[in-house]
Amino acid sequence: MLKRRIIPCLDVKNGRVVKGVHFKGLRDAGDPVEAARAYDQQGADEICLLDITATTEGRENFVDVVRSVAPQIFCPLTVGGGIRREDDVRRLLNAGADKVAINSAAVTSPLLIKRLAARYGSQAIVVAVDVKRMPALPRDEEPIYEVVIHGGTRSTGLDAMRWCEQVAELGAGEILLTSMDKDGTHDGYDLWITREIARRVPVPIIASGGVGSLEHLRQGLALGEGEADAALAASIFHFGLFTIAQAKQYLHDHGIPVRPPEHRRAG
Amino acid sequence: MARELTLVDAGLGNLASVERALIQVGSATQITDDPDKVATSRIVVFPGQGAFGKHTDQLVSGAMGEALRMVIQRGDPFLGICLGMQLLFDGSEEGGGHRGLGVLSGKCRRFPDDMTAAEGERVRKLKIPHMGWNEVQPSGEHYYFVHSYYVDADKSDDVMWSTTYGDVTFAAAVRRENIFGCQFHPEKSQQSGLRFLRAFLLGSRQ
Repeated sequence: MLKRRIIPCLDVKNGRVVKGVHFKGLRDAGDPVEAARAYDQQGADEICLLDITATTEGRENFVDVVRSVAPQIFCPLTVGGGIRREDDVRRLLNAGADKVAINSAAVTSPLLIKRLAARYGSQAIVVAVDVKRMPALPRDEEPIYEVVIHGGTRSTGLDAMRWCEQVAELGAGEILLTSMDKDGTHDGYDLWITREIARRVPVPIIASGGVGSLEHLRQGLALGEGEADAALAASIFHFGLFTIAQAKQYLHDHGIPVRPPEHRRAG
Repeated sequence: MARELTLVDAGLGNLASVERALIQVGSATQITDDPDKVATSRIVVFPGQGAFGKHTDQLVSGAMGEALRMVIQRGDPFLGICLGMQLLFDGSEEGGGHRGLGVLSGKCRRFPDDMTAAEGERVRKLKIPHMGWNEVQPSGEHYYFVHSYYVDADKSDDVMWSTTYGDVTFAAAVRRENIFGCQFHPEKSQQSGLRFLRAFLLGSRQ
């Protein structure tokens, strides 16, 4: 059976990990190479690096970070943040990323998704969709979610569900769905929108935004709750609250199909 | 001293992670796109990502296809990865139908739409591509897969390991004599993948 994936995410700014990684055994918590290697060795199913640098020089640093991290890990590497042009994608894939996540640029130029999928294959193209729940109107039966960009500061008027269906049609291989209402709250994923999109959209959905406990990971992945194909989380792993192995064990014990933690063998 | 391994650059995707994994398991590796070099190599790894199409037609009918067949027919160890494994077979339904190298018999078919899988008391709709970690039989070990087409091998003896997705049980790894293939990406499969590559290299030295 295909397993649900657990994806730790590292935020990188000017070449350094922010919200430093605090688990044991790291000499330099701010070094993205050390942090990524540690997650790989813990048995992360995939690793995500997000560039949160605002400046152009910072972006150059990020390509170098990807180039240093990629040879050190033996699982899929997804990278995102600040990708505007086809050339940014080419450079990141050449630097060793397996997948790139495109966010605002997919909204401002949707046909970019189609060109990238044709050139690199859908499996390499993730579209990151940030959503916000709109204030409910009295007679609304279902909540409405809107796509937002630029870190949630700009609204787009796009309906989250329709947009996800469209990006899948354009060739996105996966959708990284982040609830901006939940991001940073540690009180769990937005299960309603995650489930609705996971059910309706034919490509895998990565749930993101709000994880503060192992139970939140379970909720995001369980049928009837979030139904996501993969769960992305940052702080619960960085601060050493839980290891990847502990997360896998918890999910396994609660009926979620996951790949067992690696037992490292000699040789 | 280890015999040098040839990693074939046939324009079917980035080779850096496969090269890195081979180095990790102790192989001296040369990358080449020169069919003459491939033809005289003693151990060959042939990775590929993406789809059957015009590009693979040219490869199969051109000099590189000839070189790959020479290595295989001579009996030297050969490993096809992902599309590189699929290309060992007769052909694919993909893109209206394309030919493979035809050294193993069987065909690549697309996973059917609308597959489901039971999970506890619920049923889950399955997505295409088959992307992520799945287990292979008989070992139960997990490897990382990304593919929308699977190998339907004619001879069950050629199938070394199998994997199930929805209603379909397909060849996760194949072997006939010196010819090996894996549908999964060993270079993305952490310790399990490195062990697979190490076993191929050790076997190739005997």
